[in-house]
Amino acid sequence: MEARQSMDDLINKLKQDPNLANWQTLPGKEAQLVPYPEQMDQRLQAALRKRGITSLYSHQAKAFQTAMSGNDLVLVTPTASGKTLCYNLPVLQSILDDPSSRALYFFPTKALAQDQKSEMTELIGDIGVAIKSDTYDGDTAGNIRQKIRAAGQIIMTNPDMLHSSILPHHTKWVSLFENLKFVVIDELHVYKGVFGSHVANVIRRLKRICAYYGSSPQFICTSATIANPQSHAEQLTGRKMILLDQNGAPAVCKHFAFYNPPVVNKQLNLRADELPVVTDLAGRFIRNGIQTIVFARSRLKVELLVSHLQKINSGLNERAKICAYRGGYLPTERRRIEKGLRSGEVIGVVSTNALELGVDIGQLQVCIMAGYPGNMASVWQQAGRAGRRAQDALIILVASANPLDQYMAAHPDYFFSGNPEDIRINPNNLMIMMDHIKCSAYELPFKKGDLFGQEPVDDFCTFLQDEDVLHEQRGQWYWMNDAFPANEISLRSAVQDSFAIIDITDRGHARVIGEMDRFGAMTMLYEDAIYIHQGLQFHVDELDLKERKAYIRKVNVNYYTDSDLAVQLDVLEEDQTKPLPGSAQADTGYGDVMVRALPTVFKKIRFETYENIGWGRIHLPEIEMHTNAAWISFPKTLIDHFGKDVFQNALIGFSHVLRHAAPLFVLTDPADLSVVAKIKAPHNQLPTIFIYDKYPGGIGLSQKLFETMPELLRRAEDIIASCSCDAGCPSCIGFVQEGRKAKKALTEMFLQL
Amino acid sequence: MSLKQKLQLYKKQLHEAQQAERSTPEKNDGSESVVAAEERLAVCHAARELDATLRQWKDQYVLVHSETLPLTSQTGLYPFSELFEAVAAWQQGPDAHPLSAHGLKATDLLFFDTETTGLSSGAGQMIFLIGLARVTSGGVELRQYFLPGPGHETAFYDAFLRDTQSLKNLVTFNGKAYDWPRVKTRHQFVREHVPRLPQFGHFDLLHAARRLWKRRLDSVGLQKIEQTILKMGRSEDVPGKMAPFLYFQFLKNPQASLVKGILEHNREDVLTLIILYCHLSFKILGLATPDTEESFEIARWFDQIKAKNYAQPLFERLAAAGSDYSVEAKAYLARYAKQKGNFDQALSLLREVIRSGSANDSHYIQAAKLLEHQFKNNRQALLYTQQAIALMNHWQGKSERFSTAKLNAYRERLNRLDTKLLNNRN
Repeated sequence: MEARQSMDDLINKLKQDPNLANWQTLPGKEAQLVPYPEQMDQRLQAALRKRGITSLYSHQAKAFQTAMSGNDLVLVTPTASGKTLCYNLPVLQSILDDPSSRALYFFPTKALAQDQKSEMTELIGDIGVAIKSDTYDGDTAGNIRQKIRAAGQIIMTNPDMLHSSILPHHTKWVSLFENLKFVVIDELHVYKGVFGSHVANVIRRLKRICAYYGSSPQFICTSATIANPQSHAEQLTGRKMILLDQNGAPAVCKHFAFYNPPVVNKQLNLRADELPVVTDLAGRFIRNGIQTIVFARSRLKVELLVSHLQKINSGLNERAKICAYRGGYLPTERRRIEKGLRSGEVIGVVSTNALELGVDIGQLQVCIMAGYPGNMASVWQQAGRAGRRAQDALIILVASANPLDQYMAAHPDYFFSGNPEDIRINPNNLMIMMDHIKCSAYELPFKKGDLFGQEPVDDFCTFLQDEDVLHEQRGQWYWMNDAFPANEISLRSAVQDSFAIIDITDRGHARVIGEMDRFGAMTMLYEDAIYIHQGLQFHVDELDLKERKAYIRKVNVNYYTDSDLAVQLDVLEEDQTKPLPGSAQADTGYGDVMVRALPTVFKKIRFETYENIGWGRIHLPEIEMHTNAAWISFPKTLIDHFGKDVFQNALIGFSHVLRHAAPLFVLTDPADLSVVAKIKAPHNQLPTIFIYDKYPGGIGLSQKLFETMPELLRRAEDIIASCSCDAGCPSCIGFVQEGRKAKKALTEMFLQL
Repeated sequence: MSLKQKLQLYKKQLHEAQQAERSTPEKNDGSESVVAAEERLAVCHAARELDATLRQWKDQYVLVHSETLPLTSQTGLYPFSELFEAVAAWQQGPDAHPLSAHGLKATDLLFFDTETTGLSSGAGQMIFLIGLARVTSGGVELRQYFLPGPGHETAFYDAFLRDTQSLKNLVTFNGKAYDWPRVKTRHQFVREHVPRLPQFGHFDLLHAARRLWKRRLDSVGLQKIEQTILKMGRSEDVPGKMAPFLYFQFLKNPQASLVKGILEHNREDVLTLIILYCHLSFKILGLATPDTEESFEIARWFDQIKAKNYAQPLFERLAAAGSDYSVEAKAYLARYAKQKGNFDQALSLLREVIRSGSANDSHYIQAAKLLEHQFKNNRQALLYTQQAIALMNHWQGKSERFSTAKLNAYRERLNRLDTKLLNNRN
């Protein structure tokens, strides 16, 4: 048996590895400690002392003082920096001062609320005053709900529960709304895109109800590192925020390694799959008894990695275990894993991105990311998992073939320069706002001239009156409909009419394995499509448009399908246009567009060779959507200059790059954004690439991309320039026809832009 | 782009979204907004047609319809005057019974029903009609409060609460779960201006009706009960679920004819409650002869509220009659006999149950317990325990009556009996 290697040995070995693309060492930092603020209640101080906390980190004290002097605030905190005390201390202080005070916490998931509840319960136990703090969610038993509504002082819930249960039944929560002092919003960065736009409107409703009962709560928000914490918090809550981003928690020295798997197919510039590489790297540490956490991007990858790692570990140390740790686990299971990590019984954990959220699993020595997590906020949250006490932490990012991964591997300077993405929401999205004005009118009637957020409601209410939803009497609009509006509006699903994906492989045991918006369903779930779900292939047997169901069956074939979509894009209104700075060649624009997509045919494409081995027709109606788009137009002369075919393929390749570069600037789900190239755009007859929000009415993504178009193009250029392939590959412009010429044409175009 | 333009642009999409969410496509073409004065005029007119007076609170008003019906009038099984008999009968009856009017006068009972703008219980659904009736020596005093529009709720609740000081003895049909929570919700909105909600106590006739008749009625609704139990018929009734839509139309176009049917519906509901209360009381107290099923359910109810002295005679009659319920009645009687120490009687009753062939596991176990502890007959006890286990095994995977916990307990009993038998032999 080979001798155990130390962390230093392993680090030195890794530094010699030919596939290492970059190595950075980020120095550690000492804790900045300050004494308890003077005004802090003696009982609270005693409780902290009992827990071994004899002083506060500077940001905790600052948060306490800022909140106690009546401000709304947003805190930016890395993982494991004692953020819960930042809001628990002012909340508990205000309840100790006046027991009638109430606080409402909301967390993106039930699991997080449960975790926070147990932490809060322990702290309250040490204070020795009976403060009632409880979770209120779908799992709360009916018989204690009434008690919580009447007497709960700290209510921990989630935005969905607020939306569909608490706000529409506010008359049962009078003591909460009359005495609400604090609203705590944890994990602010999760509220992005459609979900965030919905939540901003739920908060508008919450504020209306508070105003009705005569309270005006302060907001305390916490966020991971994003580019715009303050403006995001302000947009979400409609309040002026004080930003606290100076962190006083200590940090250990961190080694950051970029690992790029070798190219295995020179021709196609294909790299080795990242999973075996991750397994090998993680195995080196686990075998030597060094606790390691691995982050993977999907549940399937988590399961695969766990089973590979368990094989490596078997027989070496029977007691030390490898665990999967992903969303959907019960609190007790998670507690067990956390305990195992602390005791050393668990040596390796493989987790999905979902658990980068503030769940406390303690800290480990090594963190390995299987692929760039998609945004910098996630990178730092995941990296924060490594770094135990005085020891150095090692973080390894294993790049996948994805263009962003390859970009990061080639541009570590960009990676380390600290460019977090913007979070965009659009609370005034017409469709979303209309939904919530309905819910709000159900909760309290609107008066003529009332504002919802900053928007006057009159036009909305008149519309809803015409739809027989509201009734106007003496200048007030009342809910006059037998429906319960919150039931029909989900905060999480992208579009209201989503399709259920049903696996009917096992007759008699059909099960829903996912859902997809209409647009996605019509382009990916047409009949005879091969749909890939978590790495498994399924054949689409039937797409039922009326019932919004797609029936799929597991298959094992050597091809995938790709639909040809005839996308019509009409610009309805140009809100802004400007020439691309420093370029006489291109114009950029932003505005309202109508997207019409008609799926026409699909091709069957063989996996390894990408040859076309068949096709079929798609029989589906046209899909229509109004939304926002940013675009860039090029002069017509380029068509003749490059030749129509080459230029067209260059534009398609360009779209591919832009689609992948966009997440550098906005935090977005892949499903929220689309890019389409037109050789002759209908509104200006010019070759144009459109980037549009894939949600009716838009959620602010393309607007941000319009604002940062020059930088976006620069990144796209970098991606293409730094890719070593000749004719296009998945890491740059994708596979297009005439790839070699197209890539060259693009390079030339960029020189002129 | 201005909001107006945008709304225009998105109209189709928004409209489709609204349609998807709406449960009914009711549409009204006479939707003109009515200015306050015209509205008042129209409502006054409607009030006249509905035989209602206007009661005012500041600039709000409520329509109140009052009438007194003679005690002798009869629509179903009884005239209203029978309520005095029912309340009198309770004075000697079991006072722990949920329907007992022990210590009350007939005039204390307030028969109560509402109509709402929708079935959900959230803050946005309103009560637009409250119907109340009280039976006095002068006749049945019936009163209905009708909300002429959403902006008049203060007047509505003010009038209702001023007129009815006590709500301690409400008689409702599902009022605890339905009407009363809605009253509480809407009261929140006007609580600063109107009297406080008094303490609420109630007799819920849905609960009672469900106990007695759930086996014979596929749905235990008030109208179903009227037809099949109380032999009443309504000529032209507005179905309850139509009420919200008619009311929404009335709001846009205050024509009495739109809501007349709803008021009539509510009026009949309230009057039916009087007859239903009488009928249930008579059945429970034995003044109207219950059939065997009713007897059994009434006896079971008495058993549950620990009124054994009322339950026992009923079970005895059922046991003797050889009815469908005689076996189940005997099982109850066996329990009573055991509690009194009449072990012989208890065992013989249980044996009758077992011989009938319709015994369940607990009957076997009860018999086994008696045999083991009172008669020291372990062999027989073992036999019965085995039969209980056999039943359980038979049910496994087929019936909800299967329970792992019970099966384990029975097996434990079997083991213990086995050991005892072995020890005795040695």
